[in-house]
Amino acid sequence: MTRRALLLLLALAAATAAAAAPDLSATALLRDHLWREVRLAAPGRRPKVGLVLSAGSLRATAHVGVIKVLDNAGFPIDVVAGTSMGSVIGSLYAGGLTVDQLWSIASQVKVNSGNDLSGRRLISLVLFDSLLSSEKTEQQVRGWLHGLRFDQMKKPFACVSMDVYTGEAIIFRDGDVASAVRASMNLPGIFQPLEYRHRYLVDGGVVDYIPVDAARLLGAQWTIASVTENDYTAVRPKSVLDSLEQVIDIRGSYLSREQRKQTNYLIEPPVGDIGMFEDHRIPEAMEKGVVAAAKRLDGAEESLILASIPLLAADWAPATTAGRGR
Amino acid sequence: MKRSALVLAAVLALAAAPARAWRPFGEPSDGKIRPVQQLNDEGKHQEVLAALTPEYIQTLRGTDLRQAYVLLGDNHLALGRLSEALGDYQIGVSLFPKNVDLLTRLATLLHQNGLDEQAKPLFQTALKYEPRHWGAHLGLAEIDHRFGFLDRAADHYEIALEVDVLSKRADVWRDYAEVLLALHETATAELALRKAVDLDPKNADAHVLLSFSRRATGDLAGAIEQLDEALALGAGDGVRRAKALDLLEAGRMAEAGAEASALLASSPDDAAALWVRARVLLAKGDAAGARKALAAVRTPEAGDPFAEQAAKALMAASEKSK
Repeated sequence: MTRRALLLLLALAAATAAAAAPDLSATALLRDHLWREVRLAAPGRRPKVGLVLSAGSLRATAHVGVIKVLDNAGFPIDVVAGTSMGSVIGSLYAGGLTVDQLWSIASQVKVNSGNDLSGRRLISLVLFDSLLSSEKTEQQVRGWLHGLRFDQMKKPFACVSMDVYTGEAIIFRDGDVASAVRASMNLPGIFQPLEYRHRYLVDGGVVDYIPVDAARLLGAQWTIASVTENDYTAVRPKSVLDSLEQVIDIRGSYLSREQRKQTNYLIEPPVGDIGMFEDHRIPEAMEKGVVAAAKRLDGAEESLILASIPLLAADWAPATTAGRGR
Repeated sequence: MKRSALVLAAVLALAAAPARAWRPFGEPSDGKIRPVQQLNDEGKHQEVLAALTPEYIQTLRGTDLRQAYVLLGDNHLALGRLSEALGDYQIGVSLFPKNVDLLTRLATLLHQNGLDEQAKPLFQTALKYEPRHWGAHLGLAEIDHRFGFLDRAADHYEIALEVDVLSKRADVWRDYAEVLLALHETATAELALRKAVDLDPKNADAHVLLSFSRRATGDLAGAIEQLDEALALGAGDGVRRAKALDLLEAGRMAEAGAEASALLASSPDDAAALWVRARVLLAKGDAAGARKALAAVRTPEAGDPFAEQAAKALMAASEKSK
């Protein structure tokens, strides 16, 4: 490279400097200041925050990217709720696994890794009309969480399943976590419904795609939801599983219209085109989760700050100010 | 028989190999580009562009042809003709998809214009061929920072800053420090910021970032000292605003109020200063005065409404507690 060419490349690079000057605008500084107040607030001085992770099969690995950004920003998460794949990721996060551990586990997920979906098993499903077992999922979750029960989790956690006898959404928040997570992601039509606690359980995505209600049941007063819906208008199902997933997702999408309104803040990684068997696209899904969450982070902080101001204001009056030793 | 089979295998292998395998001594060059390169080195941009006519370019091959597109792009860029430069680099990359000079130039130009999703794969391709290319690492560091991949951004900055030309640039050290601060690695961020101060002692930004770092460790007094250093270097209202908010956070109400008043004297609509004034008045028990200050917070045209929303929320809370 000639000296002139080097100088040109340097000049180009200098012109693109990302953020050499810190943002000192009134809005940015005020947000930053109030965000620290929210993060450091004593219990009861900000709303209890619930992280809600939607269903979405492999697409829902994007939740890991969302969690990574929230974790880096020190976003306070008090309770976690998840459905289907959202329940797997949510259980690991609430169980105390680090973001790096979550990223590593999700990176290694294969379509077959939680369940035996080999050709032989699928042929037996078709020929003998015999549903498969999802026991492997339970074993894996139990291994990752070392057999934790709900009351032993680092953060309160709930996950949702559906009783195929009654059509009810069943929200689990006590007992064995691995069994509940298995029930939450027990895809109907492929896996045998799970008999657990006198219920006959299948994937919760059918009735509670974005489990805001489960987070509220855990006491969340403000919720942030990561939603990984299928863009079913762009997909032509090519197999039995694809069709089944598509039907569940369409149903989930109708349900989620109302649930979207119930949550306080939404992050939607654009992963709608990732199919049920495309495990090679998991890294892409997680990256899209990071990018989507990073773009929406300021907005999420602002939303939580605005919800917290009425509670924080009690500390800003004279009597309590003295009490805080300021 | 055995020998003829070997010869046949060798011929087949060569036939199946890419064209470059036939050129064990590199791509051909007739050296035709040298006079144009000379013009470029003398900074004669118009002459370079005049010399590189389509007819002339058609006569070039190999490294000469590749260099022609580099020169076309560089000289269009030097004359501020951005879209033409972009076209030159794009054609160059389509003809020489493994050339790191062309890849990084195109990627940097795209990045400069906010097209980061297009720029990122080009930088990544460049790193495949030249794993420690500083331009590609710097570009990826900035893109990853913007996209939220803080750990990756830090890794790229670390490699880029090993290169002499970049290790002398204070702005790159500051950018690196910002990423470290976002990762809560305050000790390393301070080291990077000290380096930035050494390289550019008159720049106030490093002191502002040092104040952020101090504040992150809970040292509010140290943070305010750093802001004072930035103000001594001539920093403007932004730093005063940050100082007023830090004084408020430190509970130094009288000083916070004075700083806010000084700011409001020059910018009466400053939302942060109005907020500080309101909080100081609230702490004194003057809720009516606080509400008056908050009522003055307005969203600038096409601006972010957050400050006004926050002011309204505090006004409502204050009304309720009456």
